[in-house]
Amino acid sequence: MDVTVIQPSRGLFNLDLKGVWQYRELLFFLVWRDLKVRYKQAAIGVGWAIIQPLLTMIIFTIIFGEMAKIPSDGIPYPIFSYAALLPWNYFAQALTRSSASLVGDSNLLRKVYFPRLIIPLATVVTPLFDFAISFLILLVMMAWYGVAPTWGIAALPVFLLFALMVALAVSLWLGPINVRYRDVGYAIPFLVQIWMYASPIVYPVSLVPEKWRVLYGLNPMAGVIEGFRWALLGSKSPNLLLVSVSVLFTLLLLLAGVVFFKRMERTFADII
Amino acid sequence: MDNNIAIQVDKISKQYDLISERQRHDTIRELITERFRSAFSRNGRAQTRHTFWALKDVSLQVNKGEILGIIGNNGAGKSTLLKILSRVTEPTTGSAVIRGRVGSLLEVGTGFHWELTGRENIYLSGAILGMTKEEISEKFDEIVNFSELDRFLDMPVKRYSSGMYVRLAFSVAAHLRPDILLLDEVLSVGDLDFQRKCMDYAKSLKEDNATILLVSHNMFSIKSMCSRALCMEDGKILFDGPVAEAIEYYERNSSKIRDLRKDDAHRFAVHLTDMTLSDEEGNPCYVFDHGQRMRIRLKLKATKPVHDPNIIVAFVRSDNVNCINFCTALDGFTLPSIDGESVIELLTPNLKLVAEFYTIHVVVRDRSFQNLHLFQIGPSFHIRHDLLNPHFGVFHEPARWSLCEDVSVRSEFSAGKGV
Repeated sequence: MDVTVIQPSRGLFNLDLKGVWQYRELLFFLVWRDLKVRYKQAAIGVGWAIIQPLLTMIIFTIIFGEMAKIPSDGIPYPIFSYAALLPWNYFAQALTRSSASLVGDSNLLRKVYFPRLIIPLATVVTPLFDFAISFLILLVMMAWYGVAPTWGIAALPVFLLFALMVALAVSLWLGPINVRYRDVGYAIPFLVQIWMYASPIVYPVSLVPEKWRVLYGLNPMAGVIEGFRWALLGSKSPNLLLVSVSVLFTLLLLLAGVVFFKRMERTFADII
Repeated sequence: MDNNIAIQVDKISKQYDLISERQRHDTIRELITERFRSAFSRNGRAQTRHTFWALKDVSLQVNKGEILGIIGNNGAGKSTLLKILSRVTEPTTGSAVIRGRVGSLLEVGTGFHWELTGRENIYLSGAILGMTKEEISEKFDEIVNFSELDRFLDMPVKRYSSGMYVRLAFSVAAHLRPDILLLDEVLSVGDLDFQRKCMDYAKSLKEDNATILLVSHNMFSIKSMCSRALCMEDGKILFDGPVAEAIEYYERNSSKIRDLRKDDAHRFAVHLTDMTLSDEEGNPCYVFDHGQRMRIRLKLKATKPVHDPNIIVAFVRSDNVNCINFCTALDGFTLPSIDGESVIELLTPNLKLVAEFYTIHVVVRDRSFQNLHLFQIGPSFHIRHDLLNPHFGVFHEPARWSLCEDVSVRSEFSAGKGV
């Protein structure tokens, strides 16, 4: 027999992660819903997951690769930028959608109970689908440029999971703030744009002065992208210091994010 | 805790911040400017912060298998109580223990998505209401049969009529088989035929020994389903006991004039300042026998002159059926204008309405029914009759019946049809 105790929640670390696990099926259904809805009325549908990164890559190659002649560590510029755009596009989508997800599902928050963490979790999972499709294009490009995959490719899921954690960590902060202040919705496109230039997408990390590398690692996406280039293209092994700073910082942000989220969720239904 | 208790609520209170327009910071810019303003003025934010208690020290015990009705005016705290028990929101203080799987239906169609088809929505909504995928697949055919929408299953829900939407949504919900069901007003939707289906569903849950908490304004469904009812007001339980007594308590209390919607009043040129109901002899009265006449005295106050006013008094049944309207323009009573205070009385014909709970709406328009000068909700009253209830329609007037001895009527009719 289930026994539920209802009382005002206390304490910072009462995170109820067990509840999230119990509702994992709902997580699946929310991901499924988002995918269905997204492709329902789009004529090209899944094609967008190919066109978007492909066009961005072409533009970057023309402007940064050909015109600005930004170095790419000896790797053909198209594949150099595409390997970074893969995790970046995933991250940008996950962050944007996840930060808006609580407000988007406000009718659920007002009317039915389930662990609220499920909502941002589901929305960082959904864009993995687009990622998978864009990934196929990368394989085609690698064959075209004759870049042979190395054993490093086995580490790719780890870096992808890392990107997911970064997106989740940030949206656990932005989502609840968005419930109260809709400014977040306006700020996110700028945040994403600035963040993109702060990440080694159009340029290699080797362009960043040595003494700034540790600080640069505080941008966790720098670690993710470094990892992707290394895993896929066999470029120089990633700067270990940079990656570990990235990982540590993200874990900290994520943990604090969950605590912050749990603290804020108490009043979601009342103020949304 | 005693094994026979399904819900034990212990002194639950819920406080809301009452945020006025000026204090609501929906953007950070407003927050910053407001903070600056309060820093430089003497009325700090702390002083202007208002709160109110939607629930205050509510304690309650519900046994397994009990069907409990919750009645009360808008804002009495009924929905807040259900929201807390369904864990949508947290109490400010107090606690509650619930034994059993809880299902809550606080609205129809929770989790539905417009773009998805009926079939997809059955799965989605089922999962959101707490069913497992396995359970939904198992009951899928049953749900479809119940909704009678098998032909529209692969159509996006956005193309459904509102009736179809409600039917599908409720069909999913009806197959949630919780131990404890929290229901908010959802039975009052859909056509009559479907409403009956919903009642049957609730009764089948009752047979399964489920515990149900039902919030409704419809005294008819409360009466037919519940054995016990709570009457709430201002966040407190004022009465807890047998359903007939609870309804009587509610009706007695909602007969007061305080029911007038004061917040709307300033928008209109005319205000209803007082209203009394009495029997034909003029004795104040709120319960009328079927067939009795009613005297209604309205005290109106016009802040500016209103010419050719058309005063309308409507009786609205508790299930929101507008049953009868008295109207000066139709009844041949002319007033050139009203200005300042005026008292108007009307004596109704014999009221042949069925036994139910009615609320009086007072409307003032002009003769052409164009402008609205007043719309307020006045007191409520009850019509008493042993037999007549809404199953008999809106009103009852005896017809003249007779047995025809001349059977040729029928043959003439059929002969006529043949020509």
